[in-house]
Amino acid sequence: MGQPECAEQIKESIKRAGIDLVASLPDEKMVELIKSIGRDPSLKHLPLCREEEGVGICAGAYLTGMKCALLMQNAGFLNSCNALTTTSLQFEIPLLMLIYYAGDIGDRGFATVGSVTEPALRGLGIRTYILRRVEEADEVIGGAQVLAEDSKRPVAVLLTKTALGVG
Amino acid sequence: MMRRYDFLKAIAGDARNALVVAAGGAAREWQALKSGDGCFRPRTLGLASSIALGISIGLPRRKVMVIDGDGAFLMNLCGLPTVAWHSAGNLIHLLFDNECYEASGGTETATSSVADAVALAKGAGYKNACWVKNPREFHEEFRKAWRRNELSLIAAKVKPGQPKVPPIRYDELENKYRFIRHIEKTEKKSILGSADHAARKYGK
Repeated sequence: MGQPECAEQIKESIKRAGIDLVASLPDEKMVELIKSIGRDPSLKHLPLCREEEGVGICAGAYLTGMKCALLMQNAGFLNSCNALTTTSLQFEIPLLMLIYYAGDIGDRGFATVGSVTEPALRGLGIRTYILRRVEEADEVIGGAQVLAEDSKRPVAVLLTKTALGVG
Repeated sequence: MMRRYDFLKAIAGDARNALVVAAGGAAREWQALKSGDGCFRPRTLGLASSIALGISIGLPRRKVMVIDGDGAFLMNLCGLPTVAWHSAGNLIHLLFDNECYEASGGTETATSSVADAVALAKGAGYKNACWVKNPREFHEEFRKAWRRNELSLIAAKVKPGQPKVPPIRYDELENKYRFIRHIEKTEKKSILGSADHAARKYGK
């Protein structure tokens, strides 16, 4: 499956998970997904300048009843660690984190950020699931959102390049 | 030079049912001026303006105010273009610049020498941003901002220091639940839904 098809399928899974708002910063590998989210009138798309503000925006929108996802690279997740700790965790606010897994097995150029991603998520106590096959997008993304709502915490889904249809 | 509390006193009566995002001392002062559960108190330095943006997007017909300080404002400068880009117009950004990190011991911030908060907001895309000199001007600008229904920043230089106001009596979680219940009540909508897992399973 190519990038546009994978993007479409992941976007539909995000919608089926009940998400209303997606805040994002791009990664080259997620551009198709971000474009597809931006085109869909049933999702509110909010491009950001830095990931940490996205944690705040999603928290604020949650207080009014919206269901929010934060789409970013793993480097961006590292940018947002303080807000995740002192806003999402401290106030028990659910958040679906969709994170591009740069430096994952077989991915060139980002081995350092890849190597600290899962340990940093573990350090924050954020439950983490890896989406490697787009066919499992409904199960993993929908399931992560149920877990976020039920536990009132952030839950991370690491999106790999194969899930995004990138060769 | 006057204190933040003198400025807040000037607008409390006109802030009607606005939802407020304010941290630390500003939250204590606002609570002393206006009782009720419409104030959310963030614990991440700088994040108040981003949280307020999220609330204003979720409730585009409700006024939302953020009471910011210079340290927090500088910490989240990259949040300003995002606010200007996506604000629905119902957000009023109040900034009290005491030129120091008051809650962290009082050492100086960049606004004490080189940085101009209003210029930074304008550069980030705020169409309306101004300095006011005293509570009377602040009150005037606040009323204008309320009426124009377009993102506005109103900034004032203040001297550090807090009046004697009562402490906050409840923690983060209670603050969150009270704030959500306040929105549910005043907006007549259900946000938290059912906590009954068995009922939820059967779609009730």
